[in-house]
This record gives sequence, C-alpha cells and structure tokens, in this order.
Amino acid sequence: MTQSFLCEVAMNRLLCNASRGVAALLFCVSALAAPSPQELLQDGDAIRNPGRPFSAKVTLTEFEAGKQVDTSTLVSYSRAQDNGGQFATLIHFILPARDAGKLMLRNGDDLWFYDPTTKASVRLSPQQRLMGQASNGDVVTVNLAKDYSARLLAEEEVQDGDRKNRKAYKLGLTATAPSATYATVEYWLDAENHRPIKGRFFAESGRLLKTVYYRRYQSQLGRERPTETVIIDGLNPQSVTLMRFTDFATPQIPKAWFHRDYLPRFQPE
Amino acid sequence: MIALSAAMTLPTSTLAADEELGALALESAPVESMPASATPTRLFVESALGRTQGRSGAPSRDVRRVSVDLVHASRIAPGWRAVVSDRLDHIRPAEPGSDATLNSLREGYLSWSDEAATAVVEVGRINVRNGPGYGYNPTDFFRDGALRAVTTANPFALRENRMGTVALRAQKLWSGGSVTAVLSPKLDDARSGKAFSLDLGATNNRNRGLLTLSQQWSDRVSGQVLLYKDSGSRVQPGASLTALLSDAVVGHFEWSSATGSGMADGGTGVPASGGRGHRLASGLTFTTSTKLSLTAELQFNGLSLGAAEWDRLARSNPLALGTYLLDAQRQQELAPRRAYMLYATQRDAGIKNLDLTAFLRVNAVDHSRLAWLDVRYHWPKVDLAIQWQQTSGSALSEYGFAPERRNLQALLSFHLQ
Repeated sequence: MTQSFLCEVAMNRLLCNASRGVAALLFCVSALAAPSPQELLQDGDAIRNPGRPFSAKVTLTEFEAGKQVDTSTLVSYSRAQDNGGQFATLIHFILPARDAGKLMLRNGDDLWFYDPTTKASVRLSPQQRLMGQASNGDVVTVNLAKDYSARLLAEEEVQDGDRKNRKAYKLGLTATAPSATYATVEYWLDAENHRPIKGRFFAESGRLLKTVYYRRYQSQLGRERPTETVIIDGLNPQSVTLMRFTDFATPQIPKAWFHRDYLPRFQPE
Repeated sequence: MIALSAAMTLPTSTLAADEELGALALESAPVESMPASATPTRLFVESALGRTQGRSGAPSRDVRRVSVDLVHASRIAPGWRAVVSDRLDHIRPAEPGSDATLNSLREGYLSWSDEAATAVVEVGRINVRNGPGYGYNPTDFFRDGALRAVTTANPFALRENRMGTVALRAQKLWSGGSVTAVLSPKLDDARSGKAFSLDLGATNNRNRGLLTLSQQWSDRVSGQVLLYKDSGSRVQPGASLTALLSDAVVGHFEWSSATGSGMADGGTGVPASGGRGHRLASGLTFTTSTKLSLTAELQFNGLSLGAAEWDRLARSNPLALGTYLLDAQRQQELAPRRAYMLYATQRDAGIKNLDLTAFLRVNAVDHSRLAWLDVRYHWPKVDLAIQWQQTSGSALSEYGFAPERRNLQALLSFHLQ
C-alpha cells in the first residue's frame, strides 16, 4: 500500500468523520513529508556503501547444517562508475592459498575472472559468477536504487540480524536495469534510521535465491554501517555464509584498476 | 481447501523461520587469523605418481614427478614492481634429449606504471598471452616453444607452466580500451634441454613484434585486434571477441591469418600449403545453476594438414608425420585442419570441495580422440587429485601416434604460501 493511497484514505475519513479529522490530517502531512520508497532505498544504499571509493577485507565463513565447512578471505575494492553511479567492484582473493592473487572484476554485465598463473582473463556469465562466493558481495556493495524501483509493501515489525524486533518499512524492489542480478527483492529498512535489516532476493522465476541479514552495525568511514551479513541459501537454508567486513579504508583506487587489461598488473599497496 | 492449504503452509514457514533463527546464531571465523592482504609470494609443491599403459603391446611404465612452483611479485618503489615466476620439474622417465630436471624461468621482469595506472612499461621475460580460446589460441603469438616440460594435457594447466619471452612491453589504457606494443629480440638460436638453462633459444629465436588494440564496445561485448610480425614471416593480423549472450552463455571467437610458413614445412618434409591460411577457434560456454560449466569449441587451421594430405603423408612417410606432430606439440599449434573440443567443469560435485574437470579433444581429420578427467578434492592447503587420460585412434592418427594409450596418476599438491 503506497503512502499516497494511505493519504487518500485518510482524506476520505476526514470528510466522513470530523472527530478524527485532526489525526488524519496529521498523518497525511507526515506521510507527505516522509521519504518516498525510492529515497528510503537510497538511504539504505548510502549506509551500506560509502560515497567514495573504498576497500574492505571480507572474511567468508561457510556453514552446512550449522557446521563450519570452509573459510576464505578477500579484499573488495569498490568505486562508483562514471556512467550511472553503480559500483564497479574488484575482488582480490587472499585465502585459501590456492586462490591467492586471483581477481574478479564486475562492471555491470562486464564480468571477468583473472588467474595470475595462466595470465588469462576469462569473461564470465552472471550464472558462472554465482558459482563462487564472490557473488555474495552483490548483496553488500550493490547500489540497489540504481538498478531497482521500490514501492512500499508494508510497515511491520521484523526481527533483525541480532534477533531484536524492529519496526521496519518493507519495500518491494523490481529490477529496472538489465544488469541487475536479481529480478525482485523484498527489502526491510529500519523505520527509525533507514538501516538495511534484511533482504530476500528472488530470481525471475520467483525462486528465492538468498535471504540476507545485515547486522553488527559499527562506526566505519564516518557513519554506522553493517559489518556482517548472514546469507541463507534460498534452495538449501542449511547452507549459510557469514561475510564479515573489517579494515574499511579509502585508499587511492584508480579507475584503471577496473579495466580488464590492467588486471595482470594489479598490485595493491 | 483453505484450511488444508494453511495446514500445509504453516509447518514449512515455521521451519524456514527456525532455520533463519539458527543461521543468526552462527559466528564468523576469527578475523584475526587472516592476513591483511595477499602475500607477495606464492609457493606450491606438487608430487605425481602414475602408471602409463603403452600402445601396441609396449610395456607399461611408472611415471613420477615432483614440481616446485614459485611466484613472487612485490612493489620495490612507488610505481615500480618486480615479478619473478619459476617452476622446477623433476620427471621420471625424462623426455628424450632432455634432463630429468628442468627449470623454467617463466617470468622475471620490472614493471613501471604512472600514478593513474594508465601507462605501463615492462622489461624482462614476460608471459605475453592473448586469446579467449579454450584449447587453441590463434592470436597467442608467443606460445611457440614456450613449454620446457609438458606435465599435463590440460590446456589451462599448460598455460600455467609456459615460459615468457624476453621483451619490452608498453601499454596505454583509457576508459574502455588499451593499446599494447611488444618488442622481443632474437637472443639465441637453438633450444636447450639442459636443466637450468634460461632456454632463450626456445622463446627468443627470432626478432618479433606485436601490436594489440583492445576495445570494450559494451558491457556485453569486447574484443582485440592484433598485428604480429617476426623476422621469418610477413605481418599476421588477428582478432578476438568475447560476448555475453545470455545470463548463462558466453561466446568467444578468435582468428588470425598467416602466410605459408606455418606448420606444414620446416624440416618435416611436409609440403607447405603456400598462400595465406586462416586459423580460428570459436566456442560457447554454458553454465547451469548446478555449478556445471560446459564449453564446446570448434578449431580450424588452414595451414595444417587436411584429410587427403594427412592420409597421403601417413601412407608415404610415417616418420615425417611423427615429426610433424611433435612440431605441432612444440609450437602448441593445431595439427589437423579441423578439430573439436568439449570442456566441462563441475564444482562441488556431490560433496563440497570436490571438483571435476574433463575434456575431450577430437581430431576431425583422422577422428582420433583424447579424453582427460581430473577429480580433485580441496583442503585448505592441500589438493588430492586423480587424473585419467585415454587416447584412441588408428596407428597413424594424431592421438593414435602417441606412445601412451592410457595414463592414470595421483597428484598431491601442497600450497605452502
């Protein structure tokens, strides 16, 4: 139900019931002043993503049926693209040792995997990228407002990643950019401060691909940001990945790093 | 009906909610134990033990190999980088004419780039590699003679082991494109089988130059145009293209053109075809949601032997055919005029960290085949793999000519850094 519809309902009530008119009017004014669903989404993006090029170390811990089965570490470098502002992301694999030095580059649909041992840059399809853990970075660094249109589905109470109940806006997101990884998303933002709480990401077929909780908010790069995401596989909820973000920084990240031909020369400070 | 539906839905949603609650109770691995960045050195040791079954009644034999693989890349000053990449293979039994121990200095170069990382100059032994093809790369002009030790039939693994060429490379990048020039001088005449030779005769036996223009036309399409010249031939043009065709399909195309001095000449006794010949590789890679990736590739070399020439040579001079095939292997060139390749990888095959890789090469001229399978389990620092290889074909076919019919080996790899 959209805010404009709620406003319309309130106005009707105002006409029908003078005794509740003042309250309805106040609600209407408040609704008109409140941010639109798209603005809420932008606010959530700004909390997840600093407004300048940044890097973060990501520790991934994978669980099957509650048992830890794998860990890996990578460093993610992100920078808004010149055309449209979506993030370009370069992922530098650190651990395990067999993957150290490998790179994955994403500029929208332009996806490349570089293996320093073969000196080969291989173009990947979105489906190929989903085979690896790097795809989980999407739910963290993607600028949802650039690729999705949002509408308000509900205001409801929802449990956050730290298992506390929060009053939240539930948004329904529909992909508008062809390069969007997910067809639709259900997205909950804290009604008080617009922090992302939870997301459910769906394929075009309607299949749930993953459920994500954003949690452990800490002050990083100037504001409170989530430093851990819990990613639950949509098909097999027993398969869970925790992504822990540390070492946030704003190093000099030249545009050339996001160029396929620069990958063989990539060497961070 | 509604009640029945609710009864069926409720336990499922409750279960999902319970699972989500369980997931939220999980704790991340400690971050403190992880390094701050990738170490500048990568070192791994691999040991292989196997048995090869010979063709035509030839006795079976054991094969053993130990390899040490080192890559080190570090910043030595702002804008400056030094790279060393070396591999040592000890193979028993040794290849005829080579030591059992072979060291390959794959790379050793200095690199400079400006602050914006848009201009790069490099000098030293550099692995200059081009082309998106899986099993055949017509635009990979510096592949000729680059392998000292052939330890596998997997084309991807072969690329890991090859030596670079001593060259000066300069590159300029701009948004969406780049231009690269490579100059590689002649430094020696003949290749060496000595253990610790730099083997400059293998990689720098003639003056060579390459100019490459790369351009990204859209998020979904990018390509390269190349001009290659060496002191023994006329300018060879080349081009390659990769395209994202759907969310699950990537296409690649690679082409180059050369004049007569290609495969079919140079000491083999095989007459050169003369004139200009085209070389190309083109394929599609399809990935399923179950982590299976399949590639089919067509390969063509207009300067190689066609069916009639192959048949004539096999009947009149089998020795020359053998030399021709060895030359093709040394040059990493396509021996038949047409070939096909299927390449498949399956990650987490049934159980997590168990990966399967398999390919099938088919010589479309003589219909001989090479099949290869790698089953590999990963631990954090150790890989254990079983590799199986089988060749089939008539005695005077490409794969039927190989002395080994079947090869089975176990490999243990330790990733030390």
